[in-house]
Amino acid sequence: MSNTDKATLAATQSRRPPLYRDATVLKWLAQVAALSLVVFALYFLVTQAQSNLAKKGIATGFDFLSAPLGSDLSSGIDTDPDTSGRALWVGMVNTIRLSIGGIIVATVLGVVVGVGRLSSNWIVKRISSVFVETLRNIPLLVQIILIFVVISTLPRVEINQGPIPGWLHISNKGVSVPRVFISDGFYQWLIVVAIGAALGWLVMRRRSRLHDATGRDTYPVASFVAVTAAFAAVGWFVHPVFGWVGNVFDGLASGIGALTEQTVQILLSVAALLVAVLWIRRFLAQHRSPAGRAKLSDDDWFRVIFAGVVAVLVAIFVNIGWPGLSSWIINSGRDLFEVLGDKFGDGRTGQPIDAKRPDIEQPGNFPNYGPAGLNLTQGLAAVYFGVVFYTAAFIAEIVRAGILSVPKGQTEAAQAVGLRRLTMLRRVILPQAFRVILPPLGNQYLNLTKNTSLAIAIGYSDLVQVGETIYNQTGKTVEVVSIWMLFYLTCSLTISVVVNFFNVRLKIVER
Amino acid sequence: MAEMRPVDIAAASPASQTAEEAVSLPPEQPSTPPREWIRQNLFSTPFNSALTVVFGLLVLLTARGLLNFTFSEEREWDAVRTNLRLLFTHAYPEEQYVRIWVCVGTIAVLAGLSVGLAATTARGVSVKRLSSGLMALGAVVALGVVLREPSALSNADGSVRRNDSGVIRESFAEAMVDRWGWWLAAALLATAGAALWFRFGDERRRSTFVPSVELFMGVTAIVVLSAWVYPWGHYAFTDGEFIAEPGRTVAMSTKLPWTVMWLLLAVALAAGRRLRQAGAGSNFTLALNLCWLACPFVLYWVVLRDPDLDWDRVLSVDIPLGVLFAAGGAAVLWLLTDQRIGELGRIIAALLLGLAAFNWVAAFWGWYPMLQKVRLSFLLVALAALLAHNFAGDRSKRLRLLTVWAVVMAVFHYMATLMNSPSSVETPTEAFVGGFGVTLVVAAFTLLLSFPLGVMLALARTSKLPIFRVMSTSFIEVIRGVPLITVLIFFTIILNLFLPDGMEISVLASAVLGYTLFSAAYLAENVRGGLQSIRRGQFEASDAVGLTALQRTIFIVLPQSLRVSIPPLVGQAIATFKETSLLAVIGLFDVLRMANNVIPAQTEFLGVKREGLLFVCGVYWIFAYSMSKRSQRLEKQLGVGER
Repeated sequence: MSNTDKATLAATQSRRPPLYRDATVLKWLAQVAALSLVVFALYFLVTQAQSNLAKKGIATGFDFLSAPLGSDLSSGIDTDPDTSGRALWVGMVNTIRLSIGGIIVATVLGVVVGVGRLSSNWIVKRISSVFVETLRNIPLLVQIILIFVVISTLPRVEINQGPIPGWLHISNKGVSVPRVFISDGFYQWLIVVAIGAALGWLVMRRRSRLHDATGRDTYPVASFVAVTAAFAAVGWFVHPVFGWVGNVFDGLASGIGALTEQTVQILLSVAALLVAVLWIRRFLAQHRSPAGRAKLSDDDWFRVIFAGVVAVLVAIFVNIGWPGLSSWIINSGRDLFEVLGDKFGDGRTGQPIDAKRPDIEQPGNFPNYGPAGLNLTQGLAAVYFGVVFYTAAFIAEIVRAGILSVPKGQTEAAQAVGLRRLTMLRRVILPQAFRVILPPLGNQYLNLTKNTSLAIAIGYSDLVQVGETIYNQTGKTVEVVSIWMLFYLTCSLTISVVVNFFNVRLKIVER
Repeated sequence: MAEMRPVDIAAASPASQTAEEAVSLPPEQPSTPPREWIRQNLFSTPFNSALTVVFGLLVLLTARGLLNFTFSEEREWDAVRTNLRLLFTHAYPEEQYVRIWVCVGTIAVLAGLSVGLAATTARGVSVKRLSSGLMALGAVVALGVVLREPSALSNADGSVRRNDSGVIRESFAEAMVDRWGWWLAAALLATAGAALWFRFGDERRRSTFVPSVELFMGVTAIVVLSAWVYPWGHYAFTDGEFIAEPGRTVAMSTKLPWTVMWLLLAVALAAGRRLRQAGAGSNFTLALNLCWLACPFVLYWVVLRDPDLDWDRVLSVDIPLGVLFAAGGAAVLWLLTDQRIGELGRIIAALLLGLAAFNWVAAFWGWYPMLQKVRLSFLLVALAALLAHNFAGDRSKRLRLLTVWAVVMAVFHYMATLMNSPSSVETPTEAFVGGFGVTLVVAAFTLLLSFPLGVMLALARTSKLPIFRVMSTSFIEVIRGVPLITVLIFFTIILNLFLPDGMEISVLASAVLGYTLFSAAYLAENVRGGLQSIRRGQFEASDAVGLTALQRTIFIVLPQSLRVSIPPLVGQAIATFKETSLLAVIGLFDVLRMANNVIPAQTEFLGVKREGLLFVCGVYWIFAYSMSKRSQRLEKQLGVGER
């Protein structure tokens, strides 16, 4: 091959194709076009919505949150809230309580049923599979409504009625059981418990290292529990010592309240730019050759430019396009710390946790449940039992599949090295099964939380039902729906972060 | 029971026989005598014995409670029997009812053909299980007769006789004598089982299999025949308001249609099998699948809705437009599939895309008005032009492409015209069918529309293009993070606020839209699981043989990944089907709303809810359970995780 041939070859290789045939350019063109299409469509829809709403005489904005609400809620921490914002808060608390209570009971029930499906007893096996197959093949909404209707047609409330008077009452008004509730001084006590748990964790780590080093039984988990319990017991009496924590929160609240809007806007812009700069720095560092020179392909250049442009746009938008954001951040931050300051405040010296038994009162002609017990109204009972049974059926399947997924050889090997049956379960089978169970289990927790929104069908005041009441009165559908979505997204995110944390810890460390 | 004779079936379908043999049979288990079985499974340890006793009692008590509840004289099952039509089709006009039968018939024919054409490897139920099942069913019926409390005595007017302490009941002995019909049924079932057992004398013949298709046809035949004998329900007249009227029974008027439907199913099944034996299966399967795809649209928009075409407009506007786009598009495609066109083709395609996009922008500013379907047609032309170079080839290849294009245009303009025409069927609600019908319609449309969307989302999420990935990921995660009900409320209530003047979207359409987006996000995650299971070597191999990215996706990646994700996809389909019950919350008259709100508002059945709700539970359960069983079998057939 002659020199000129080589030169032309090199020239053709290095010559770039025209722009309209360059794959990288085209790809980015298509992506930016798609993105601008979406942004344009959203912009179009939002302007339409604004003009349509203006025609109907409905102003947009979140000021309705502080306006009074015309109707009562069916149940919750405050059945006659002053404002719509307070009503939504009550709905959120109802949703959260329903979800947490549901998750705990559904897990227990699901594990029992799932293990029951693998039982060697024919009747237990059959009952468990009938339970699962019946519940998971009927829509949850139908189940909830059916439970609601069945509870509503039960006998009326009477004095001294119930399967176990004073402990458990069941009637057309729902179910009433003993109530355990947090009382004055709970939050200070929580601080003591948290300190105990932190110390206990240190002790546990030390003891398990000792166990690894020497092989002696050091009972790490038991010592963790013991330390925490000791702190909790002592804290029961000494918790008023921590009254000063409230003042710290109060100070934070006034500090945030003193910020000006400009400061927050500048901080937000700086944060956006900072994130972009950090991302680009890391990106460049990853693409550095051993000699220290950054080697970037065209595609990488596009990425860097795109990240920079987006950051600048966000920084401008925060300052010009959305001035209300900063005042909202200031207000909600101040409110949050004020609430915390109140909860942790001085002068709350009572007992942290209290309990009461249910009672039945007769103020007029008709007896009804008194305020002492934990009263599951028809709606609450229907949603609660509905989601618990439905989710338990799915959890049972997950648990069963998890246990079945542990290879038989593991059991046989454990038996061969002479482990006792319980040790084998605890050390060999359950850890491996749990690894398979955890991710889908987290999904079920998410589903349970989302499914509590079906309460809207039977009028139990969870977040969605309260929201519906509010937009029926004020017409603020867009705002209410965005509050719903934000709330549920936060819940989902929280649950998946927690599940992921355990998931990462349980993962097999691969080489 | 002529259909169930396994010998005939084995003789009739040698193909299925060979397929059965190909499946490796599990080793035969030696059968344990009943006494040994009871000892092993119920009383193996003291703890197990205690469990058996406790849970056995629990089962008996629960069964007794359920029986007493279901057969109590206070239950008003008439609320369900009278309103069967309301529950299944809402207020579809009586004189147009033949349209519903046409729909059912079409589905029956398609289902029959599909099942007949499919080379089944499912073995069905062994004679042994069938006969012991029949005997056990007889025993359960007898047990139920004994368990249920004696019936209440009634007065001459049919009301329950009471005294101070409650309802007056007959004695136990009288009750047992009164229930002679149930005893007879139990005896018949047990005898049938025993006859089957002894007819197939030895163990080997008892393990002959009755294919599940034949079993299904047999059971449905019995159900259909029973409509000629037993009145399953009454009529509900919907004269402005819902009034229940006893008298003519639903069974009396539907026995003939149901018989026809059953015969259609049987004939289609036989025809499908004949076609498969003749070796014509693969050709027909494609046509059949296209029919399945088209059937929801055609059945809902054409058959049920019966559009009232304005012929003047059709002749002057719609047909010319359709012809124009078919011809113009064909000309463009002919030009672009020329192998010599090269770079120019891409430029033309890009310009067309720009024009199509500009039509929408112009609509936003209100510059020049045009029909929506014209804008869509322009978009279709541009998309076809973009893909055209993939089909470049000789004359016959290009002509085939043009034919496909003409058919697509014809179908598109036909459906658009139909959708724009008013309906001639008068119903009180905007959905043409209510009750269980609307559930099926929404579920069918949702599945059909969400599948392609879900696949696209999954591809975008796994692609190397960062903006597409981020957009798809955020869409999927946002939708998966919020409850369905909020999505549905968004689409049914808020969407109309977002639309420009003069554009409106019906509740049903927006509900389908909401369901589709919701279901697509979940489908996308299932498909993504499948996409991730594809080995790197597949990509490298397809690069090595020089496939383009599009070809690689269509011919290599998707077929493999979709096969892996079939079980979760079926699971998602079941979930979507169950979620359709939320239609009741957003104001559509689905079967749940019928049972929970409409029937309890009738004067005859004021406040009667539990019966209807139990019925709804039953309907949903039958559908969802059979689907999940089918998917489990499918999973085994596909051998996912075993290859």
